Amino acid sequence: MIDTAKIRQFFNPFLTVSIAPLIVFRIIFGALMIIGTSRFILNGWVQKLYIEPTFFFPFLGFEWVKPLPGNWMFLPFILLFVSALFFMLGFFYRIASIVLFVSFTYIELLDKTNYLNHYYFVSLIAFLMLFLPANRYCSLDSRLNIVQKQYFVPKWNIGILKFQLGIVYVFAGIAKLNSDWLLDANPLKIWLQAHHHLPLVGKLLQQEWVAYAFSWTGCVYDLFIVFFLLNKFTRPFAYIFVIIFHLVTWYLFPIGVFPWVMIFSTLIFFSPNFHVRLLQIITKEKMQSFSEKMRLTFNKKIVSSALILFVAFQILVPFRYLAYDGDLFWHEQGFRFSWRVMLMHKEGYGRFFVVDSKTKREMELPQQQFLTPIQLDQMLTQPDMILQYAQILYKEYNGKTFYVAGLPLKINKPEIHAEIYVTLNGRPSQLFVRKGKNLVTIKNDLKNRTWLEEFKK
Amino acid sequence: MNRIIFGFLVSCFFFITACDKDNKKDEFDKAALLQNFADNIILPRYADFKTKIDSLESLFIAFQSNPTEAKFEDIKMHLKACYLSFQAVKTFDFGPAMNTGFKSTIGRFPSDTVQISSNINTGTYNLSTVTNAGAIGLSALDYLFFQTDAYLKLTTIASYNQYCLAIIQKMKTETDAVVSAWSTFKSTFIASTGNESTSMFSMLVNDFCQDWEEAKAAKLGIPLGKYSLGIQRPEYLEARYSGYSLEILEASLKNIAEIYSGIGTNGVDGIGFDDYLVALKKENLNSTIKTNFQAINNSFSQFNSTFETELTQNPTALENLFNTISEQVVFVKTDMTASFGILITYQDNDGD
Repeated sequence: MIDTAKIRQFFNPFLTVSIAPLIVFRIIFGALMIIGTSRFILNGWVQKLYIEPTFFFPFLGFEWVKPLPGNWMFLPFILLFVSALFFMLGFFYRIASIVLFVSFTYIELLDKTNYLNHYYFVSLIAFLMLFLPANRYCSLDSRLNIVQKQYFVPKWNIGILKFQLGIVYVFAGIAKLNSDWLLDANPLKIWLQAHHHLPLVGKLLQQEWVAYAFSWTGCVYDLFIVFFLLNKFTRPFAYIFVIIFHLVTWYLFPIGVFPWVMIFSTLIFFSPNFHVRLLQIITKEKMQSFSEKMRLTFNKKIVSSALILFVAFQILVPFRYLAYDGDLFWHEQGFRFSWRVMLMHKEGYGRFFVVDSKTKREMELPQQQFLTPIQLDQMLTQPDMILQYAQILYKEYNGKTFYVAGLPLKINKPEIHAEIYVTLNGRPSQLFVRKGKNLVTIKNDLKNRTWLEEFKK
Repeated sequence: MNRIIFGFLVSCFFFITACDKDNKKDEFDKAALLQNFADNIILPRYADFKTKIDSLESLFIAFQSNPTEAKFEDIKMHLKACYLSFQAVKTFDFGPAMNTGFKSTIGRFPSDTVQISSNINTGTYNLSTVTNAGAIGLSALDYLFFQTDAYLKLTTIASYNQYCLAIIQKMKTETDAVVSAWSTFKSTFIASTGNESTSMFSMLVNDFCQDWEEAKAAKLGIPLGKYSLGIQRPEYLEARYSGYSLEILEASLKNIAEIYSGIGTNGVDGIGFDDYLVALKKENLNSTIKTNFQAINNSFSQFNSTFETELTQNPTALENLFNTISEQVVFVKTDMTASFGILITYQDNDGD
């Protein structure tokens, strides 16, 4: 027998529940942002990724987002640090959360070279937190009476965060349902064997079956972990699994603070009681954890519509790749913002040529004249970045004068050609971009990327 | 149901972590590769270069005390030996070599002839400054030894003579520093087998690719006009004055091929990148790379004059060589490096 009343209650976004999980989440997220930002600054990455490059690769539609000059690029990071601190303490929370969201998203929009799914995740969480009353308890705002203390929130406040985490896992799992991952155990086969020097496990990591075991376990884990976290009986075991899984990834792959983000964020799946007890350590106050009817003032219709919109967006965006022909890993149209994590080992080698449109004289460009090594590495395998790079080269060489046998030759409206080879998930490299196409005239848009060479499986 | 799936997952995990069933046939050991490189390739190559530079110094000092035409001819011939020996060590631009700037001190070209002349005229200079970066090393000697009236200048202009010695001694100091640093660095090198961009194994692979790319672009492509709208630029030739350019290029490519196969200076074919590829079941890639190396090596037999003469008389052959070298870059830089799972990023990366 299905208990419809129970199901309806489960999905009722306006049921009142304890605020405690939201409060704990605020503190954890703020703390991780502080650590993440400090680590970024201390590693010298502000300098390396945002000050040293001469050129940037903005996202389609966000070309107006420009970096600040020179050392001013530290400013958004300082703002991020300070706002994360305020955010964690719940001090001027609204302003802090706006500054946190804007500064973080600004940084991420500057250069798609540095795109990571987890950065997108952070932006989304920061966006959601703008709307949630996470400063209503155990915060400086409530202690200083800037806002009124509150013990309960409508259920969607917690639910939407769980949903967002669930999306990350489930879609990461769906993305693993492909033949490279399941049938060839790639790219894990490549990545794991490279660790064969590790003590104890090293020998194991160059065994083929281990790569398969990792691939399949990872896929099953991503697909189902959320459901085990939602169920109160399986939750403790599932959480042990979360910890083990992310510690393994943290040990083997350079994915920075994100294993910790996932380990701590998933605490939100625990019961209100668990969070109440956690908060009591800080507040020394006994807090009620059972919901009682209380008045919550907001427009249910607006909230419902906004929630439906957000949820629909989250579910549809990862599926947009279905609108394109060809192999997703090859053309990458619809690849980003879809939780496709650790799926590809894609490396490219490319030669770029400036061709004078009048004399058809051509010259190869030296590698790395304009881009940083990271930018070059990322650009060579990502078609939209290749087109952006062609535009950069066009602007650099258009109108430049060269001397041919002592006589000046002014290059007007040069063509930019490229010959690029790419290897994907252990396959032999194959031609990605054929020489002879003027990349300057190809538009960087959302259409099928027919200018790429066809992918041979 | 949940518990059954969960139980399955748990057993999967313990299967992965606890089970230590050795299967010898697929195993490869990067530490053994690095050991072979250190013992049989890098250290003996450095030792050879040190011997060459040391005798260059003693030959020159002997010449200074009692100059004769015959001695000068010996020195000029010996410069070639230094050049060729240098091709074997310049690849390893990490660790001690990177810290001292060894590669650019010895091997930078083309030389800044204006700066060289001004140094000789003033007679006072600090060869470690940035201004003098193009006024030192083998290419400065190439310029100074192979002018038509070099012998006359060496025997009549004291500052000219002194400048040559200063350059030789600077090279000797740098070389000694690198060679002695390697005695302690060796253990660090062998232990650094990770795949992060800072590990010595990654550096070795990256420098290997980089060196190939430099041979393609700097030694061949630029003089050939590949980077200047098809206009040849012989003034960018390495060792233009002596005309050793083609032999240097050949030596450079041959040394890289030997590194690939892990062939030591004693001629023994030890553990190299080829063995790693075979362990990864990439036999086809390995044989493609080896065939290309062989073809490139063989193609040098068609040249029988200097690079500069070939540029005017036989540019097509050079073009072909350039194209074959370019093709090979794809295999080593993309296919091989990707197979090894080497990361070029130093930052977070979720593999997309």
